[in-house]
Amino acid sequence: MFEIRTDDSGTVFLAGRLDASQTTLADEQLATLSGTARIDLSELDYISSAGIGVLLKTYKRLHDGGGGLALLNLPARILNVFQYAGLDRILDIR
Amino acid sequence: MERSFPRRTDSLEEIARFVESFVNGADLGDQESFDLNLIIEELFTNMVKYSPEGRHDISVRLDREGDALLVCLTDFDVEPFDITKAPPVDTSQPLAKRRIGGLGLHFIRQIADRITYDYENRNSRITVTKSVGPADV
Repeated sequence: MFEIRTDDSGTVFLAGRLDASQTTLADEQLATLSGTARIDLSELDYISSAGIGVLLKTYKRLHDGGGGLALLNLPARILNVFQYAGLDRILDIR
Repeated sequence: MERSFPRRTDSLEEIARFVESFVNGADLGDQESFDLNLIIEELFTNMVKYSPEGRHDISVRLDREGDALLVCLTDFDVEPFDITKAPPVDTSQPLAKRRIGGLGLHFIRQIADRITYDYENRNSRITVTKSVGPADV
């Protein structure tokens, strides 16, 4: 089960499993972001290369448009996956 | 423990339940569950992607042999596709210079101790071995 929501401050929360079956939903929702976005991953239980791809696509789009993307509160297992990919040195992870 | 799943990404939800059932019965924890899900998803979606015309479901088999976990996926009646021959991903490169794809296999290489590929009678079989701590007794 994957969920995505936005709080009053504009921070986007991803929750549950972001696997290859959920990338269309995630893509559609994240495509609405503009400027500098904040995505909180504290409730994310699982991510695969497909999920990473959605976040990278969002990062590139915002970055190319002069904005940015901050990823917040990554659980250790999720952070591990970003580290496997060497993305902890590229993305703004807080 | 073995089961076959329809060749589509929508099968991942059912695969996650299958993994959870195996993990619960094999004295494994959340980290092993995460790793198994990641290994299987990356292999399964590769098979879906590279043999979309396949007519058969994809078999997923999970075993624990002592301190080793064995993950075996079999794709029946397909052309060969040896993922172990895929070039490594250079994660030191900036994003703009990286080739597209290959990240899933890179994840498996990070997690697993051994990856083998067999092709026989038009069946593709990938076996991933990963060590774990001793079983709880």
